[in-house]
Amino acid sequence: MNFDLSDDQRDAAAGARAFFTGSASPAAARAALEGTAAPAPGRKALADIGFLGITVPESAGGAGGSVLDLAVVAEQGGAVLAGPSLVTAARAAVLLEGAPDLAAQLADGSAALAVLDGPVSGSAPSVDAADATLFLGLDDGVLVVGEGEVVPGAPLDATRGLARVRMTSRRVLAEDAAQLWARARQVGAVVMAAEDLGAADRAVLMGVDYAQQREAFGRVIGSYQAVKHMLVDAWVGVDQLRSLVWWAAWAADSAPAELPLAASAAKAYAAEVFERAAETVVQVHGGIGFTWEHDAHLYWRRAKVDRLLLGDAAEHLDAVARLAVAGALG
Amino acid sequence: MTAVTLPPSRRRREVLPVDFDDTAEEAAYRARVRATLEERDAELLHVRPGQSADARRYEAELRATERVLAEAGLVGVTWPQEYGGQGGTLVQQAIVAQELARARVPTLINHIGIGMCGPTVIAHGSDDQRQRYLARLLRADDVWCQLFSEPASGSDLAALRTSAVRDGENWVVNGQKVWTTLAHVADFGILLTRTDPERPKHAGLTMFVVDMHAPGVTVRPLRQMSGDAGFNEVFFDDVRIPDSERLGEPGEGWRVALTTLMNERVAIGGAGSDIGQSAEALAAHARDRLPALGAEQQVLARQAVGRALVASLATRYTGYRRFTTLSQGGVPGPEASAGKLGGTAAARLVSDAGVRLLGDDAVFGATGDGDETWQKAAAYVPGVAIAGGTDQVLRNILGERVLGLPPEPRTDKSAPFSSGGRR
Repeated sequence: MNFDLSDDQRDAAAGARAFFTGSASPAAARAALEGTAAPAPGRKALADIGFLGITVPESAGGAGGSVLDLAVVAEQGGAVLAGPSLVTAARAAVLLEGAPDLAAQLADGSAALAVLDGPVSGSAPSVDAADATLFLGLDDGVLVVGEGEVVPGAPLDATRGLARVRMTSRRVLAEDAAQLWARARQVGAVVMAAEDLGAADRAVLMGVDYAQQREAFGRVIGSYQAVKHMLVDAWVGVDQLRSLVWWAAWAADSAPAELPLAASAAKAYAAEVFERAAETVVQVHGGIGFTWEHDAHLYWRRAKVDRLLLGDAAEHLDAVARLAVAGALG
Repeated sequence: MTAVTLPPSRRRREVLPVDFDDTAEEAAYRARVRATLEERDAELLHVRPGQSADARRYEAELRATERVLAEAGLVGVTWPQEYGGQGGTLVQQAIVAQELARARVPTLINHIGIGMCGPTVIAHGSDDQRQRYLARLLRADDVWCQLFSEPASGSDLAALRTSAVRDGENWVVNGQKVWTTLAHVADFGILLTRTDPERPKHAGLTMFVVDMHAPGVTVRPLRQMSGDAGFNEVFFDDVRIPDSERLGEPGEGWRVALTTLMNERVAIGGAGSDIGQSAEALAAHARDRLPALGAEQQVLARQAVGRALVASLATRYTGYRRFTTLSQGGVPGPEASAGKLGGTAAARLVSDAGVRLLGDDAVFGATGDGDETWQKAAAYVPGVAIAGGTDQVLRNILGERVLGLPPEPRTDKSAPFSSGGRR
């Protein structure tokens, strides 16, 4: 057993932090929300640095890395609300196992892919669909790929690239793909939990920083238990979420039988932890935290949206209970 | 591809990637532990409903079980070999805890001695004390308790009043402790006393090993809200303790106590802890009970079960992460307090879900086939949130020592204790 990252993974995290800090930011997320920019760093930069192909096999032009490698990178992207989401890359890489040509286009960025939830004739709001040109969907158990008509929404969080899509052309990639689809969604849930981990962690740090400086009633507000304990509870949640994310990512790579339970546990916990962290950072800042100019609402927006994407917390808690009752805890 | 500039890594030692599977070595160790437990199964006590009916007999059975496990090398896994331990790793200790849980062996009677008192004697005791006490403790020949809290000083532990006054080669102790788990069966305890009231409250304390059968020691069990009597009031009336039973220097008692408290939080929050009920037990309980509930109740119960399992797993894997840090040479830091907070929250959710699954029986009366253990577990959790540091004290520790937030004002910190905190 080892429950800590390796040096290589720490190096990868540090490299990803440097990249994302230089190419994305809450300010860019605000610009996307105002409609003056696309989510940063954007597909091209993510493809160029190799992040879209981390889990694509080397034979298809990817890095042949693990879901855990991807999760470690995704956490850093989440910290600065980067887009498009590595969830899309992770999910598509699983679905394109049997289509190396498309996997190669995913990795090098020559195809702008999105994965559609719900019916392909009129999808549910799907991540990164707003600027995509090629869509993967499940149509009556059959995995299909094709072009589509995109209806972007007026999203609560602009960095998720949410849109409804009606597929206008389709090519069959795999018959009988329900299981493959389920696994891709589970891997996607793990990577979204990893992004949420990074975002929640950053939100808590913002709150801690402010609580160390702001004074009220003659004392720094972080010295009051009402403020201190709220931040600690958020931090403890983040600390525990990290354990579930690593476990779930490890399961995706090394213990497929544990993946359904671990992915649902991580996704459900991520939804709650991130939302609490985001609400905490707003509350600690008081009125300032409620302004458009402050970054707090950008984290809050993503928390609210991520909570509902890829299955909400209630769905995943139900899944955890059902799987455990069926013997998944061993 | 743009090159990523990597900062130089801070290499401590060769660290393996995250891996939740046993290594070959760990798998072999686990197999040995499992084989030992199977071999000696008939000599071991097993968790069963209604086990506390005859407390005396149960105590004797628990002692016998600990003796068997100690002979088999499964008690004090991480303790040094020279004191009867195995000199093993924290991962091995976690494996033993997992296998004991799997074999349904109850918590060791001497868990406070093994987790807290023993490590304190190892860290601060004399060679003579270590030789006399530690091996017997592991075999449950002696059961130990921890005499810290007092009626007027629980969370504010350093405000304690039990006094020890030097009299030649002895110290004379007077005062009262309370909420002392296991005092009613304990043979020895570690006792925190005030030896110098003229110094600030943290500076005037001294720690001793006390013989719980010594003249002047009176133990009165307290019934707790779960209905059990697991903790006690302990009165000291002119109890004489030889100076050779002092742990650490006079006035150094707070430093000694911190060793105990840090080990306590690791012991409570770490892997293998079974406060409340375990995730596996809840899953099995849900399997039995869900079908009997109505459709709507099933939905709600599954939400509660799912939430509890997630909290429980998050705590478990966080405990494993701490073990990894400790295995790589780290020392238990204030982060251990997070493990206890997480464990308490999980225990609350797990026991609440367990009770919810009982349906009408939860309010109308348990059926007696083991269901009452869920009601007991629920009634035990409020104590967990207090014992070993209240949730609020632990949040202060984390906020101040991990997050770096400014401390609570503590006006009595440097005033002589005898002044009542006024300078």
